[in-house]
Amino acid sequence: MNRTEEINEYLENRLRDKNSKENKYSFSIGEDSYGNPQIKISLDDRKDITTVAHTIAHFNGRCVVATAYLNDEGHAIVYHFDIDGLLVNVYLQTTDKTTDSITPIVSSANWAEREIREMFGIDTVGHPNPERLFLDESIEEGVLNDFIPFSKAATGLSESDIQWQNISRGGRKR
Amino acid sequence: MSDTNTNAKTKTIDIGPFHPELEETVYFKLTANDDHIVTKVDMVNGFVHRGLESLVTQKNFLQNLILTERVCSLCSNTHPWAYAMAIETIAGVRVPMRAEALRVIAEETKRVASNLINLGLLTHLIKQHGLTREIMDAREIMQDVKEVIWGNRMDLSANTLTGVRYDLDSTKINFILNSFATLKPILTDLAARFDTDEVVLSRTRGAGVLPNDIARKLGVTGPVARGSGINNDVRVKAPYSHYTRHQPMVSKSLYDAGDVHARAMARWGDIKEALRIIEEIIDNLPPGRIHLEKRPHIPAGEATVRVEAPRGELIYYLQTDGGQKPVRIKWKVPTFTNWEALKTMTCGSRVEDVTMIVNSIDPCVSCTER
Repeated sequence: MNRTEEINEYLENRLRDKNSKENKYSFSIGEDSYGNPQIKISLDDRKDITTVAHTIAHFNGRCVVATAYLNDEGHAIVYHFDIDGLLVNVYLQTTDKTTDSITPIVSSANWAEREIREMFGIDTVGHPNPERLFLDESIEEGVLNDFIPFSKAATGLSESDIQWQNISRGGRKR
Repeated sequence: MSDTNTNAKTKTIDIGPFHPELEETVYFKLTANDDHIVTKVDMVNGFVHRGLESLVTQKNFLQNLILTERVCSLCSNTHPWAYAMAIETIAGVRVPMRAEALRVIAEETKRVASNLINLGLLTHLIKQHGLTREIMDAREIMQDVKEVIWGNRMDLSANTLTGVRYDLDSTKINFILNSFATLKPILTDLAARFDTDEVVLSRTRGAGVLPNDIARKLGVTGPVARGSGINNDVRVKAPYSHYTRHQPMVSKSLYDAGDVHARAMARWGDIKEALRIIEEIIDNLPPGRIHLEKRPHIPAGEATVRVEAPRGELIYYLQTDGGQKPVRIKWKVPTFTNWEALKTMTCGSRVEDVTMIVNSIDPCVSCTER
């Protein structure tokens, strides 16, 4: 059994629905342009990120960083993990701007989660040090959710929908 | 450095954000006991945050080549390279072999110069100014190489989408090889002196120790990891570009001690290997184009790519929607994770060693805060 199969089996044993016997995540293996394998995991339930974190810790992996971005359902978060050169990208969705912190399990996620909180206003529940990382206190948390770039706003009628979307969501998407 | 609060047991000492012995704009609040031993460290960041991750979504794909090159000066080549790799992955194009080789030559040249300035600063901080002058003189040879080959001493503008913007002919190759012939014996001598000079050894050995287990836990990368006996060099663990053919021998940069000295020696190892890789590639420079003829179509998609910057692992996540601008770019630089290790390194150290220890992670605030 190779390493990617071992990781999947380890996850299956912990993230398989007892009733339906189906996995609560999708798992796929791809390659970068130079043939290095990359794992993609999409979680059905954002709370299962802690199980993934335990899996990463079990295989002596580390959190490289996490990316957050806005989408139609709220916020997507992509955790990028490394297991001895193997990149593992884990996708989850949050609709209520909260997610469970994995820093108590994988310490290397510390700053990544603080930054997500600061830039997108996503509460990383259980983070041991949820202090501001970079931005001055006069700038509200979730600042990356707020602003319409002038270059986008100034492109004309077709882009005005963006402004309306922001307004219709209560002024701020945060 | 000034005492701001004194009581019978401890002193609180502020360093930064703009301090003559601190090379970067960051603020440290140290608590030390009567023996000048640091007992607690707090760090405050954010003095040069520029919101670049937001700005890049307002620029088109070509403009962002220029912008990413300006995230940081010392690893200015690494950012546009990783960015270009992410776009090329989404576009599904293969970079010509000659361009891959030339990308590695530019990158390793920057690695040598970047590590040399860090080592020069280390000797400055331990008041070994004779060594500082010699290291900076040696670095000047690499700066001349950059200026002659790329026309600039810091931002090389080597990378473009699907390849590079420069080529090497026999005259330029001879200039590089002759410069290396001058430089290599100087570097061998300097590296040896780091292992024998009494002042260097007495100040750096045992200072700012980052044990292997904590280094693993914190996920540090680059020479900081290698100084604690960890090899997570992307060029070896997930080889990309021409590193699939020419890899560094990381064993030459691996040290177990985890102290300032080990991190410095890891950098000397990286420098030596960088020069060897460049010479090897020049000996086997593939023929062909330096970039593809047509600009690539960039469809909707996403890519995550990693490269090894002079300070360690750099990751880029790119998301596109088929338009002319990225939807999301996230990048993480080595210092972002290496910062947290400073708490372990500095607690228990003497106050007068703190700036030297900070320098030993080769911090880049410009990169970290973006």
